[in-house]
Amino acid sequence: MKSSLPEAAVRIPVSRKKITPIQVIIYVFLGLVCVTYILPLLWVLNVSFKTNREIFTAPFALPQEFTFDNFAFAWTAGHLGIATLNSFIVCVVALILSTVIGSMAAFGIARMRWKGSKLAMTYFLTGMMIPIHCVLIPLFTRFAGFGLSNTLIGLILPYVTFSLPITIFIMTGFFTGLPNELIECACMEGANIFQIFFKICLPLSRTGLFVTGLMTFIGNWNELLLAMVFISDDNKKTLPVSLSKFVGPYNTNYSQMFAAIIIAIIPTIIVYCAFSNKIVDGLTAGAVKG
Amino acid sequence: MDKMLRNKVSIIIFMLPAFILFTLVLFIPIVQSVYYSFCDYKGMTDPVFIGFDNYTALFSDKTFGIAFKNSMFFLVFSCVSQLIVGLFYAVLLTNIKAGRNLFKNIIYLPCVLSSAALGLLWMFIFSPKLGINQLLEGMGIEEPPLWLMDTKGFITLPMWIIAFVALWQYVGQSMMLYMAQISGINKSLYEASYIDGCTKFQTFRHITLPLIRPMVATALSLNAIGSLKFFDLIFNMTEGGPNHKTEVLATHLYQQGFKYFKYGYASAIGVVLLVLCLIVTLFINKVVKTEQYEM
Repeated sequence: MKSSLPEAAVRIPVSRKKITPIQVIIYVFLGLVCVTYILPLLWVLNVSFKTNREIFTAPFALPQEFTFDNFAFAWTAGHLGIATLNSFIVCVVALILSTVIGSMAAFGIARMRWKGSKLAMTYFLTGMMIPIHCVLIPLFTRFAGFGLSNTLIGLILPYVTFSLPITIFIMTGFFTGLPNELIECACMEGANIFQIFFKICLPLSRTGLFVTGLMTFIGNWNELLLAMVFISDDNKKTLPVSLSKFVGPYNTNYSQMFAAIIIAIIPTIIVYCAFSNKIVDGLTAGAVKG
Repeated sequence: MDKMLRNKVSIIIFMLPAFILFTLVLFIPIVQSVYYSFCDYKGMTDPVFIGFDNYTALFSDKTFGIAFKNSMFFLVFSCVSQLIVGLFYAVLLTNIKAGRNLFKNIIYLPCVLSSAALGLLWMFIFSPKLGINQLLEGMGIEEPPLWLMDTKGFITLPMWIIAFVALWQYVGQSMMLYMAQISGINKSLYEASYIDGCTKFQTFRHITLPLIRPMVATALSLNAIGSLKFFDLIFNMTEGGPNHKTEVLATHLYQQGFKYFKYGYASAIGVVLLVLCLIVTLFINKVVKTEQYEM
């Protein structure tokens, strides 16, 4: 989408001359659509600053005084602070592991010459079609046997595994696209295969690494089911799980629950606002290749 | 160089970590899951082989019937609605010049947000005392609808609400896929069609639609698998209630497996889900994917 920027800049004076009724309708319609996206978020933000009584006496007015008590309560008593930290640890470790392991396998498939490479690719790609629900029970019983249930490692392992297919798929595309001469050259200079992989091929596939990293990180950050099943200790829960538990039928303090929702989505929104174009295009590029 | 690339040891080093993880955490558990689905396995005792009993029990389980119906409704609704609305947004956005990125980013935003959090958000909007009902109360409507508590109809009102929330959340994904494909179409094709006197609708029907067909297959299979796996939104909006009316396969599996600890029975539901995913993917790729055009 970057290339459209200068184009748009050139065309603006032309389009200003003839704003057709159709264009007006399109803009009004899109504006309304966007309202449905922003208004719910603003509503939650507004309510999260109120006291519980204000929600019912003046539901849509601005809060009388801005108080952060609700946020503080959700952060500490609701375990959302520790949950954010846990989510961060799990996602970063899973991201690093899946990127390294996945791109190594992708390099093996794309560049090394052996008979089974096509078969290996098919094997990994079937993973994309398999819903996580199917492996939940065997994984749960087995991890309990190994003492991995209720640990963050027990979450990281499946997260890495479920990120592998998409990583391998996208990175194989990037490695296949690299020119042969590069590897020949490096080989002539006396580099071994691991130097070629880590010092030449990986740095040249930065775009691919960015795309896959983004996809796996967002996917794992938002994952609920597996984390809910595997972790029962409040101090090891990830963000979606702690949130779902805090905002439950037994809680009656609405403004605290709304504050919890805001805490859960605000990191993603900030990162998204900062890099939205890169994120949107990156995720689409990954999906197009997938 | 050839010798280096054929070196068995380095091939093994490259492939082994991924292969071990994939086999241990994904492949063996699936085989195990299929085996459990033929077993009487309640968690405390070891699994005992009982043949097809779990699968015959599925047919007499009323909740499974509802869950299956809802999953199918969800599958069809999300495929059709995302195709139509996503394509519509994509066409609108490719036809405007200023502000395209802004609209695009706003519509895409919920795709990256946690659906657990968004599910809770919409649960509050449709809850009996908050959100929309407060708005209706302000307008003087005495008896507002029950929204997520309604149980009437073949496809209940809560199911429709969840389906529309899912559309709201994920339509950005389809929209972006179609936009990427549409902006890849050669502009001279459109110019030629205008010279030949085509209307906007005709160019859309005869140029845009055929050329984005491969992407329709991709987007549809992403939607289909996504909607079969669907869990977070429903779990946080209704938890399958009221009276199991909004149960889908994934929530039913969770209930049976991790609330009642019927591991064998839940595995059978999981196998049904797996088979559905495979069938749907194969079906979409067979039917929609046709010849690729030069662009």
